[in-house]
Amino acid sequence: MRHGAELALAELNARGGVRGRQLELAVADDSGSEDTAVRVAQQLYANRDVVAVIGHLASGTSLSAAQVYGADPTPLVMVTPSATSPDLSGVSPYVFRLCPTDIRYGTALARFARQSLGAERAGILFTSNAYGRGFRNTFRSEFVALGGKVIEEDPYIPAIFSIEPYLTHLNRAGIDVLVLAVEAGGSEMTLRQIRALGAHWRVLGGDALAGIESAGDVAEGVQLPAAYLPDAPGARNSAFVAAYAKAYPGERPDSRSAGAYDAVNLIARAIEARGADREEIRDYLAGMGRRVPALDGVTGRISFDSSGDVPVKDVVIGMVHNGRLVMEHGK
Amino acid sequence: MRQFDTVRLRLLGGLALLGAGVVWIALFGAHALRTVRRSEAAQVATAQRSGEISSGIETSVLQQLNAGQQYMVTPTPEWRTQFNEAADQSFEFSRQLERTRGLTIDQRLTVNRIQELQSSIEVGYAMAHALRDLGRDDEARVWANAVLTPAGELTRAVRGLASEMTANARRAEQSLAALTARWEAYLYLGLLATIFGAALVGYWTVSAVEEPLERMALAAERLGSGDLRVTATGHMPLEIHVLSETMRRMAERLRTIVREIVQESDQIATSAGELSSISEGLAATAAQVSSAMTEISSGAERQRVELDAIGGGLEELRRTAGDLAEAAERVATLGEEIETVASRHQGDVASASGTLLDVREVVQTTSKQISQLAEQTAAIDDFVDLIRRISSQTNLLALNAAIEAARAGEHGRGFAVVAEEVRQLADESARAAEAVTKTTNTIRDQVDEVTATMAAGMAKVRGIEEIAGGAARGLEAIVAAVSQVEQAAGRVSQVAQQNRELTARLEERALQVMSQSAAHASGAEEVTAAAEQQGASTEQMAATSGQLLQAAEKLRSAVQGLRV
Repeated sequence: MRHGAELALAELNARGGVRGRQLELAVADDSGSEDTAVRVAQQLYANRDVVAVIGHLASGTSLSAAQVYGADPTPLVMVTPSATSPDLSGVSPYVFRLCPTDIRYGTALARFARQSLGAERAGILFTSNAYGRGFRNTFRSEFVALGGKVIEEDPYIPAIFSIEPYLTHLNRAGIDVLVLAVEAGGSEMTLRQIRALGAHWRVLGGDALAGIESAGDVAEGVQLPAAYLPDAPGARNSAFVAAYAKAYPGERPDSRSAGAYDAVNLIARAIEARGADREEIRDYLAGMGRRVPALDGVTGRISFDSSGDVPVKDVVIGMVHNGRLVMEHGK
Repeated sequence: MRQFDTVRLRLLGGLALLGAGVVWIALFGAHALRTVRRSEAAQVATAQRSGEISSGIETSVLQQLNAGQQYMVTPTPEWRTQFNEAADQSFEFSRQLERTRGLTIDQRLTVNRIQELQSSIEVGYAMAHALRDLGRDDEARVWANAVLTPAGELTRAVRGLASEMTANARRAEQSLAALTARWEAYLYLGLLATIFGAALVGYWTVSAVEEPLERMALAAERLGSGDLRVTATGHMPLEIHVLSETMRRMAERLRTIVREIVQESDQIATSAGELSSISEGLAATAAQVSSAMTEISSGAERQRVELDAIGGGLEELRRTAGDLAEAAERVATLGEEIETVASRHQGDVASASGTLLDVREVVQTTSKQISQLAEQTAAIDDFVDLIRRISSQTNLLALNAAIEAARAGEHGRGFAVVAEEVRQLADESARAAEAVTKTTNTIRDQVDEVTATMAAGMAKVRGIEEIAGGAARGLEAIVAAVSQVEQAAGRVSQVAQQNRELTARLEERALQVMSQSAAHASGAEEVTAAAEQQGASTEQMAATSGQLLQAAEKLRSAVQGLRV
């Protein structure tokens, strides 16, 4: 994500910046913690030089920070490239996101599991937070609606080091697929324990698993939905992927870095049109697709509905193959 | 600076001040109300929400604990479902808590902690339940017991947060109350300032209009009563100043006109006085001529009687020639007397004629002056026309002012009264001009009359001159005849004693003398008649000059009321 933003910024500044001024990126790390997210948000909010925030990465941190940014008297726009929780929709007039919500991802994943894989019995491991619970609900309702059965839903928090009892229990109950509504860190541990148990379930993940492909062998064969894949067609994307590879040798962009790249360009266009003012930027973004033209980014066409969401974005299912996420299934 | 000192600008300024004050009060009041309403609603909502959410979380966590514990005893799907539902419910409440606006950073951190505790409670029981299902009861108990600590902390955190939020709401309410009290004070201050400002401007405007108007009214009143010297002066708004200036010019013109009229009437009066005294002198002279003629007449009568006596005497002379010489002597003496009287009267007539010539000259001068007067009345007409035009313009001005005042509405009412007053003033001046025209016409009529009378007087003077000429010639004839009588009487007295024959001739002579003396008498009578006629003419002239004097007096009294 940070690399995507830095690449976009470098390109912009090389072209002469915005309104003759160079843009600067102030990088802050929320470490995936809601507490840190709240503190970082407070610092960014208090800094008058900050005109817009790109982030946060996860749903939980985004939800925690959203109300801090949206508070009077000088609310600050946040554009998240990757927080997918439906709770984020319309939570504040200052929240925009470039990715689809879990409703879309979860539904797409449930359809894939039921229709393409022919799975009948599913187990769900979910992080006991806003993201995990939301994704679980979406998957469950679509999967059940399509005639599948959810055998077990097991909560998870990063504080626990072993989910062996869950996995043993699932193994005894018998499932076709295991859905991981958890972040990449938890997934890695889970995948290793599944291997240790010797279970041969298909493992599906939510979009939060993006980046799991770099975890090595354990991640091989994991399938997850994505709104963006580096091998998606389009000249714009090809150029982006090439530039990314050149700037960061050996790396491929994922949906979050692509989203961050688009987010920087989006904010730069708002500043170009209205000036470096928090309220003007929010007003410009809110009108995108209606009062001002939509932006064609590497993640697709970007406009916003009244809840700050991107209305239409195709979701594809990718598969980890040889350490890379490749396209598996079009919508 | 002067052109800005108008009633209109004063009124507009006052209105603008009032409007600004009212707008300020309205805006400030609306702002205060909106803020109070919004803040009030937010406080109430926060207090309510915090109460609802905290009790919701506590209740649902308690249900969760109960269901979790029950499942440990009797692991049925019902307890599991109840446990999951309670967990979902408690997360739903904490989600609402997270969405609450206006929390401090510390409060948000507490919310995060609450969510963490919820998660660990859920995970703890989920693990305990899985282990229980797998028959690993000891491990399950460890997980289930581990839940109790976070459960206690959760309850404390929720209660602490709720009471803090309520306290926050109360504090905000108190600060709002203080703010409201301050705003109230500002509003009253603004109201007072507006009222004071409006009163000040109102007083300023009224005093600026009223006082000059009073001065104008006073000036107009005095002008109306005939004092043309007054004008309204001093500081006043532009509109009233223009009006006052117009009035001043009008009075100035009137004053000039009246002054000229007074001068002219004085002149006429002087001329008429002179004329009158001349006619008096003339009348006295005529009376003298008349009395002299009466004397002549009675003298002639006596002469006739004497001559009668002479007739008888001549007969007596024939008898008594001696008496003749004496009689002739007396005749000669009488003739001398006649001559003396006749010569004297001749001089009188000549001086009367001279006087008449003087009269003619005076009358001619007067008639010339009267013609000038007629010309000046024409000039008065022009001035009156000017006044009429000024007054009609003023009237129009006042009408326009009335329309402007009507357009200004309520605030123009005072000015409308002013405009009406000005219009009446203009009417009054128009009427005054009318009166002047009338007076001027009267003067012109009288001047015409005087001119006609003067012409008649001139004609009559010429008649008197002719008659006086006749009288002079008659007197000359008398003188000549008397000298002949004297010569004859001389000769009679010389030859009477010697020539008796001559007596007959003398008698003839005496008869001649008798007829001559009758002619004398009739001549004298003619002179008397002529003198009487002259007297009558002179009287007429005196009457005419009296009339002239009267006209001049009238003229003078017409302008006497006006002070210039």
